[in-house]
Amino acid sequence: MIKALGYFIEIIRGGLITTRHFVVNLFYHILKVLGIKTKRKGSVTIQYPEQKKEIASRHRSLHRLMTRPDGKPRCVACMLCVTVCPSECIYVEAAEDPDPEIQKYPAKFIIDLGRCCFCGFCVEACPEDAIRMDTGNVEFAQYSQQDLIYDLDKLIG
Amino acid sequence: MQERANEMIKIFIDEKPVDAEEGTTVLKAAERAGIHIPHLCYHPAFPPEGSCRMCLVEIEGFPKLELSCSTVVKEEMKISTKSERVVEARKAVLEFLLAEHPLDCPICDKAGDCKLQDYYYEYGLFESQFKETKEKREKKLKIGKSLILDQERCILCTRCVRFLKEVTKTQDLGVFHRGVHSSVNIYEGTSVENNYSGNLAEICPVGAITDEDFRFQTRSWFLKEGESICPLCSRGCNILIEYHPGFSRFELPNRVYRIKARENPEVNGFWICDRGRYGYSYLDEGRADKIILNKIEGENVLTWENISEYLGEKINSMSSAKKTSGIALILHTWLSNEELFLLHKIFKKDLKVEKIFFADLPEGEADGFLLTSEPSPNRRGAQEIGFDIKAVDLSTLADGTDFLLAFGPFLSGLFSPKYLKGALSKIKRKVLFSSYSHELNSLFDVVIPVALIAEKEGSLTNVEGIVQGFQPALEPPGESLPEWKVLCDLGKELGMDSKFYSEFPSPETILSEMGEKIPFFKKKND
Repeated sequence: MIKALGYFIEIIRGGLITTRHFVVNLFYHILKVLGIKTKRKGSVTIQYPEQKKEIASRHRSLHRLMTRPDGKPRCVACMLCVTVCPSECIYVEAAEDPDPEIQKYPAKFIIDLGRCCFCGFCVEACPEDAIRMDTGNVEFAQYSQQDLIYDLDKLIG
Repeated sequence: MQERANEMIKIFIDEKPVDAEEGTTVLKAAERAGIHIPHLCYHPAFPPEGSCRMCLVEIEGFPKLELSCSTVVKEEMKISTKSERVVEARKAVLEFLLAEHPLDCPICDKAGDCKLQDYYYEYGLFESQFKETKEKREKKLKIGKSLILDQERCILCTRCVRFLKEVTKTQDLGVFHRGVHSSVNIYEGTSVENNYSGNLAEICPVGAITDEDFRFQTRSWFLKEGESICPLCSRGCNILIEYHPGFSRFELPNRVYRIKARENPEVNGFWICDRGRYGYSYLDEGRADKIILNKIEGENVLTWENISEYLGEKINSMSSAKKTSGIALILHTWLSNEELFLLHKIFKKDLKVEKIFFADLPEGEADGFLLTSEPSPNRRGAQEIGFDIKAVDLSTLADGTDFLLAFGPFLSGLFSPKYLKGALSKIKRKVLFSSYSHELNSLFDVVIPVALIAEKEGSLTNVEGIVQGFQPALEPPGESLPEWKVLCDLGKELGMDSKFYSEFPSPETILSEMGEKIPFFKKKND
């Protein structure tokens, strides 16, 4: 009985919190309508799939591999990203490029996004600015883990 | 000269009193005292060259900074390796060395092992003041069987030139042109084709000479090293096996990526031959990792315990019926001293087996320096233990033999498969201890995977009679067992002297037991 009463009290508390938020937001929105500038803004609901919020410029989104002017990957397979990656989700295999100025290119470059923690260390470690996380794409959820393993073609394209 | 060299004198390095041998150089004396002086061109195997200027030190009473690699110590010499002048000079030297260095560390295989990289990190850390463009040179010049020269990365330490002049005496490389244009190159129409060329990539302090075999395979910081002994000839060169422990999510096909020389002045100095350096595929290719059961009555569980019990039973019944003449043994000299000793004790001494053969690779050609003609590491050990090394004779082997214990995969290389099958089919029970999955395995009733020398503990006797111990550098794959363990287990199963075999928890204890029985092996314990 007393336990049930406890639940009841919590429901009332929750209702009060909601009311407080409602009143506070209403207050700031009224101030905005009246043209009074305040530091705090009233909160707004974004209708997500239809309506999208702009992503901050330093936001870390899906990776991409940069290319040279001729379309070859800029990556030289130095494996610093592999070394620094805390979730061990990058795998690179190097191969010999016939051009002596390039010499080394990635034959395989695999990122397992199902394991990636989006820390951005790979971007920071890259000496060639070959990997970036600035695509702005945050919608790459998949139904199977296998589809989250991105290879060279997917990362360049 | 020898007498003088042993006299000790007192010098001061960084105000710390240090005892140094008279006649030695400042650099050597400092290394002995545990003080590292950075150096690039100096290599302990060659006389000092003094071309890199990295080893500058300040010596009290000398107006200028001196080269520690070529300055001989004197009584009461006061040397400072960390004074402001030295630090400044080192920075300046590094800046000049890096002025023409391409800084392509991301594609350089030496990155991680590179001394220039290490020294910049330790003593440099400056912003380059050179704004001029760097000179273009040859970036990918094949100079030998498996060597690639990048002239841009070269710092002209001439270690490679001196190696070819003093060790192999072939003099294939030289420094061409003068001043800023000077570069290391091969003489026209020649290439570095000796059996020790791989050492050039190892002694190059930067990434100028790199190994084609290791080219772009992995990065050196992923590799871990394990000490071992090269089993490919009877010299017993000391080696470092560099292996990749693997990535947690992505499987790698091979473990071993390269072999390096390990210094041992008594055996191989600083060098190993190319056969030992590049012939590491035997460590990974075609390895057996499971016990194979082709035909064995009344047994269906595949564990070594069951099999050793079964083998012990069979051998015991044969020896109690005085039929040990029906036992034959095929050995090889890749087995360690301890293993050969146990085999000698079990089969030759206790069971009085007469048909003991040795199946080894056919003799090769010696090259007059390190590589010997015997392509197995422990022939001398087998002789010292008391084996008479007889080549396999299939007709004697099959004649009246009921039980064959064979070690090693080498049998298949000596005879044609058809001939071998014919001879072996006459033998009732056959057991093979081999590290490889091979066609040969199908001819035996049971095949037990065993560890290679790089994966077990023990000792080897090289061609000069030096007994060298080794520790496992790699993990044996799957169910593989070291042979000494297999033989101890088998020895325990045999009723004859089973207490003897349970006294050995490790090969070290077997070796000390050997020292008491065979005077030759006593030397090592002194």
